[in-house]
Amino acid sequence: MRSTIHVPKPFTCDIPTVNDGADYGKLFSLWQKVQKYQPSTVIFEFSRCHFLRQNAVAFLGGMARQIQHNGGQVDFAWHTLQDDIHMNLQQNSFYATMEGKTGGWKGNSIPCREDPENDPASISNYLEGRWLGPDWVDVADDIKHEIICTVQEIYSNAFEHGESSIGVVSCGQHYPNRQRLELTVVDFGVGIPFRVREFLNKPQKPVKQALEWAFMPGTSTRPGNIPGGIGLDTLKRFLQEKQGRMTVYSGGSHAVITRSHQRFSDAPVHFHGTLMNISIKSDISCYT
Amino acid sequence: MKLNIYELFGENCMTKQAGQKLYEKIHPVLHSGEAVELDFADVKRFLSVFFNFAIGQLFRDMSAEEFERSVIFFNLNPVGRQTLQQVIENAKRYYANPEYREAVDTMVTEQSLCL
Repeated sequence: MRSTIHVPKPFTCDIPTVNDGADYGKLFSLWQKVQKYQPSTVIFEFSRCHFLRQNAVAFLGGMARQIQHNGGQVDFAWHTLQDDIHMNLQQNSFYATMEGKTGGWKGNSIPCREDPENDPASISNYLEGRWLGPDWVDVADDIKHEIICTVQEIYSNAFEHGESSIGVVSCGQHYPNRQRLELTVVDFGVGIPFRVREFLNKPQKPVKQALEWAFMPGTSTRPGNIPGGIGLDTLKRFLQEKQGRMTVYSGGSHAVITRSHQRFSDAPVHFHGTLMNISIKSDISCYT
Repeated sequence: MKLNIYELFGENCMTKQAGQKLYEKIHPVLHSGEAVELDFADVKRFLSVFFNFAIGQLFRDMSAEEFERSVIFFNLNPVGRQTLQQVIENAKRYYANPEYREAVDTMVTEQSLCL
């Protein structure tokens, strides 16, 4: 008797142009489609992509690692990339990271970074040396440490609460014309609303309320009767005071926090993990 | 008892493991009535999780007055001072009012219904 081995067909994932705002939904829709084909070979194809911001780079990196973690294979159709995007992905090390090579980083790009495990010293060095850069935000050491420690609360939260099997992936970008420095950190874990609902024992709690709860001072899902809930609140206040901005997508919820307002809502497209994008001014007058 | 934090953890105090280790060193000493001096010279970076585990949970069985009398900090840089201050204020509230998080939940829900 002959047996047949079922080999799943590769799934071609058309990467769109990804800017800001509604484009996050494109990324999450892609991930939803990819999940239906798991485990399988997923081909990332770029012929319809004309721009990729750091948020897309971090998310694609996370998608690739999650596919591999689930037993699938990822093929990047590098030859379909436009020249300028190809150059950008080489500059920010995404190409080298995904191909297991070394190299990259020059220009205004900031390296794409994978952290399967929490290594705070290494993350600090990345934020200080690569993200803030040698002179992109040229401030006194005390202010530099304040920025690094505040931003690093994102990583700390992701590792303590995210339950992401691939850890976190991050990528930054310096936009000199806008005097902005951005950083995206993404994990493919359970999402903040899930943890809050579980902690409060309120499985029906609306996700936007759960996310808002997590950003209030002194609220934490940390078990064991040990206080917490400082990190996200500190980050939020820091960004508001320094003309920063934060965009969060987590477990179907969405938040935008700026100097003048904070808005929590349902995300248009569900993403089970957490993506945080922060933007700070690189104009040093904000910090003096 | 005097502890040099840099010798224990280096220039980064950023993990719950390091915080818990410090807590386990100082809690029995404080419990015996002795004071502790924590010298943070040369420590550059701090995360709130470190102070929550090291210092925040001291308030579980210590009053604010006892804490101020018997835990002395030296050479904390500005980011360390700021993070520690926030952790201390939060820990006092946390142990004084165990229902705090539930109260916040009620407030968030009510705010949401008003929108």
